[in-house]
Amino acid sequence: MALTITCPICGKRNGYEFRYGGEDKGPRPEEAGLTPEAWCDYVHMNKCVAGVQKEWWFHKDGCGSWFTIHRDTTTNLEVKGPEADK
Amino acid sequence: MMTRFNQLPTLKIDPTKKVIFNYKGKTYSGVEGDTIASALYANGVRIYARSLKYHRPRGLYSLDGECSNTMMEVDGIPNVRTENTLLKQGMTVKEQNVKGSAEKDMLGFLDKLDWAMPAGFYYKMMHKPARIWPIAMKQIRKTAGLGEISPDFEMPGKFDEIFPRTDVVVIGGGPAGMTAALAAAEKGLRVIIMESRPWLGGFFDYRTAEYKDGVALYQRGQDLAQQVEANENIRVLKHTAMVGAYSNCLVTGFQTGTDKDAFNERYVEIRANSVIVATGCIERPLIFDNNERPGVMQVGCALRMARNYGILPGENGIFSVGHDLGLEAAIDLFDMGMKIGCVADVREDGQDPELVLALAKRNILLLKGWVATEAHGKKQVNKVSMSSIDGMITRDFDCDVLVASAGLTPVTGPLTMAQIKLRHDDFTGFFVADEMPENTFSAGRILGINNALSIECSGTLAGIKAAKACGACDAAEVEAAEAAMKALPGPVRGSKLVTAPVKGRKSFICFDEDTTIKSVKQTIDSGFDVPELVKRYSSAGLGPGQSGIPGHNLPLYVAKYQALAGVPVKPTTVRAPIVPTFIATYAGTNHTMHKRTPIHNLQVADKGILRKIGVWERVRYFSEDYSCKKEIENVRNNVGMLDGSTLGKFRLHGPDALKALQRIYVSDMSKLKPGRVKYSAMCNDDGCVIDDGVVVMLGENDYYITTSTGRAGQTVEWFRYHTRYDGWDFSMVNITDSMGVINLSGPNARKVFEKITDEDVSNEAFPYSGFKEMLFKDVIPAKVMRLGFVGELSYEFHVASSYMTSLWQLLKEAGAEFGIQNFGVEAQNVLRMEKCHIILGQESEQRTNLLDVGLGFLWDRKKADAKTVGAVALRQAENDPSRFKLVGFKMENNGRAPRDGALVVDSKVRGYIATARDSFSLNEAVGMALVESELAKVGTRLEIYEDECGDERIYGKVVPMPFYDPDGTRMKS
Repeated sequence: MALTITCPICGKRNGYEFRYGGEDKGPRPEEAGLTPEAWCDYVHMNKCVAGVQKEWWFHKDGCGSWFTIHRDTTTNLEVKGPEADK
Repeated sequence: MMTRFNQLPTLKIDPTKKVIFNYKGKTYSGVEGDTIASALYANGVRIYARSLKYHRPRGLYSLDGECSNTMMEVDGIPNVRTENTLLKQGMTVKEQNVKGSAEKDMLGFLDKLDWAMPAGFYYKMMHKPARIWPIAMKQIRKTAGLGEISPDFEMPGKFDEIFPRTDVVVIGGGPAGMTAALAAAEKGLRVIIMESRPWLGGFFDYRTAEYKDGVALYQRGQDLAQQVEANENIRVLKHTAMVGAYSNCLVTGFQTGTDKDAFNERYVEIRANSVIVATGCIERPLIFDNNERPGVMQVGCALRMARNYGILPGENGIFSVGHDLGLEAAIDLFDMGMKIGCVADVREDGQDPELVLALAKRNILLLKGWVATEAHGKKQVNKVSMSSIDGMITRDFDCDVLVASAGLTPVTGPLTMAQIKLRHDDFTGFFVADEMPENTFSAGRILGINNALSIECSGTLAGIKAAKACGACDAAEVEAAEAAMKALPGPVRGSKLVTAPVKGRKSFICFDEDTTIKSVKQTIDSGFDVPELVKRYSSAGLGPGQSGIPGHNLPLYVAKYQALAGVPVKPTTVRAPIVPTFIATYAGTNHTMHKRTPIHNLQVADKGILRKIGVWERVRYFSEDYSCKKEIENVRNNVGMLDGSTLGKFRLHGPDALKALQRIYVSDMSKLKPGRVKYSAMCNDDGCVIDDGVVVMLGENDYYITTSTGRAGQTVEWFRYHTRYDGWDFSMVNITDSMGVINLSGPNARKVFEKITDEDVSNEAFPYSGFKEMLFKDVIPAKVMRLGFVGELSYEFHVASSYMTSLWQLLKEAGAEFGIQNFGVEAQNVLRMEKCHIILGQESEQRTNLLDVGLGFLWDRKKADAKTVGAVALRQAENDPSRFKLVGFKMENNGRAPRDGALVVDSKVRGYIATARDSFSLNEAVGMALVESELAKVGTRLEIYEDECGDERIYGKVVPMPFYDPDGTRMKS
């Protein structure tokens, strides 16, 4: 609840205005030759990093855009990318 | 009633204004400005409550509500902190945790049985043999716990919440907090200052000692308070206790309203750029035998009773203190008329010589290096045993009030809440923060300083640092303020003693939970070696006072008792809310908010019965007959009108709009044709069906789509989420609220339609699944779709909300000659069920996929390039025999319909009923159910279990779907 998020369009706003969209896992995989396991991993498995992760947020009470931020999961603070993006 | 000082300049009461209240059935009077506790004290009440475990008498102790001593039931609300709650006309006050009265408590004998109740005795005594526990539990429950509340009690009052944003938030309205706020405000910053007491001033507020140049401290406090209140950049939140502090400069509190406020209590959540912690100090409770006997109170309590409330707390006072403030209070109280037998100071030396001189002038005996060891008197203190701190020499003194305090301890709650590591500082005896988080600063007595000028200067420094953090001043100003601070006296040495030289059987470290020194020793001896564990096992600090009394004493005492080398002393963790508050305030006001359709008033005028459905308030029925027989028969045989404005409506356009549709919908949207409506569905990545609706092509790269009512809020988010990596160029606008929908259905629908347009709307010109953009009466532009959700000839008119009233009336007039009638959501539900048109969420649940509900025909497998959401999972689930199937069923022997949600069973649950009704159109009970695939064959008997039906079962049989008009001629002709 103490989290603030910087929306690329609206700027730094209260975390309440956003909805979490999960870790950044990259674009949808090609369907050809996709195994059930690989698909399940893409949809459901997470890295659950203790530290800085890149993640998606939706500005639901604002401009309605999806964007990524870098957040330190141990302090629950937004941190500057992309140097944090190891 | 005792006489009260009514001329003091430090008074917070108005002695001329009486406030009448009720205590234990009798009428009492206090004055305006009184807290409940001070009014009771003025009326001679000394015992406010009985303690949790031993039922010991308890009285006024700290005056800031740090313990349960003075918690009472007020107007039916238990555990009200009477020291912090202002008295109001007509309040009804009762004692808590007593059998009889606080004065004569029949459970008072428990105090003598403490030997039978060692630390952790519940755990130890009540579990062997196991059958003891249910019996013991009943008895324990009767005696344990503070306060009682009736399950029927409804909390009166108004509760609110605010979420202000500010540059600087200052926690604490004492001298340091006020100077900090002023310094930051001077730099043009917006400041919020929060103070838990109903006024600003902190510990200057009740002291007559000199501040500077003949000005008394209280005058300086009042002066600062005036400056703060007059400053336009400062928002003052008084009577606002901080309850939480979090990373990122977020501070929460609870504010008590005054008569002028529109709320009784409200939640305040402040988002700041910088936080200044100026919470100051509370007194460290002195631990000796019977240290919580009524009549024993802290220095601030005794002095504030006299100075703020005009009540001399006793006639014969004895002091046992460890700080100059204690000496100062003794002098002031003596001058106000209290006889003082002796002042014991645990410090051998280091007292302010001027105070020592002043005591001597008044012939007050000062015993340096002495401490109280035992308070005597059964219900109220009448004698004190004093001893030198080594325990060698003892003396007794008679008294009616014992002012006791071991020294000062900083209010570190906000710091630990913000996850700041604290270190025990040997010089001050304080827990101090070496490292503060970004943009957080502390000021005032929390730093260990005591000189009035230093305190103010530290406030100014913190205010300037905060301004620097907000970019409102430069480093040079911070350096100048730091230099000014260095020129003034720094931290002072604090007293180390916590416990008098006693065995501690009746020496209480925590009042709320009746934890004694002896119980702490037992706990440590049982192997619980860290303060956090000692706290939980001995329950010290687990009471409603939230560790206010034992907070710092517990870790200090544990360290002393263990005498381990090299183990740092650490305070136990504090968690929000750090002061007790009403759950009602957390709950806030119950706003019943909902949306209304554009023709809400017309629907109500037509006797529509409203129900809350999702975010909407909609008409569910048009008569008291909830089976909706007339409404249904009218649609089947004639023509009806439904307000369908709650439907989700969207415009999707742009060069990549089609790509987005292909990603989201399971069908191949490239096959869309102008003038045609396409029905399709959306799945999630598990193939589970989440929504259905229609898509219409309005022009090149321009689409109009509808979703179900419940899904409208998430649809834009959903489209954008699943296309977030693609960078496609399309726009999507939610026009749910700006468009209304009227559904015109029934065999006579075309006749009504023809009356409002000159265009050809025959079956050939406007066939089933057709779409037309039309203009009615030359002004009303409408999107008209030929659909058949209810299974009849049916048109859906989509118009701007502002035209809804006109169109509704137009259709109503046109339909008058046929006897057109309204129908509501329930009638629609039955009509579409008879036709087996599903509603997602009713015929499906979270795990139901597209294939389960028989919508597999919508899925186009030849568009892998589109990476359609759900397609991969659907392919994987296609041949899975373990999935449920949606089936239609009718009841055996003309039986009634089961309730929605009833279970399909044999020896276990095999499925459940989605929707079922006694159908008027078919003259039998029919419905749809999700069942295991082996029960899905036509002719299978279904055994149905309803809630609370006992051994009774009802039976149905799987039949083909749909039930009504299976070849669709009514809908399509």
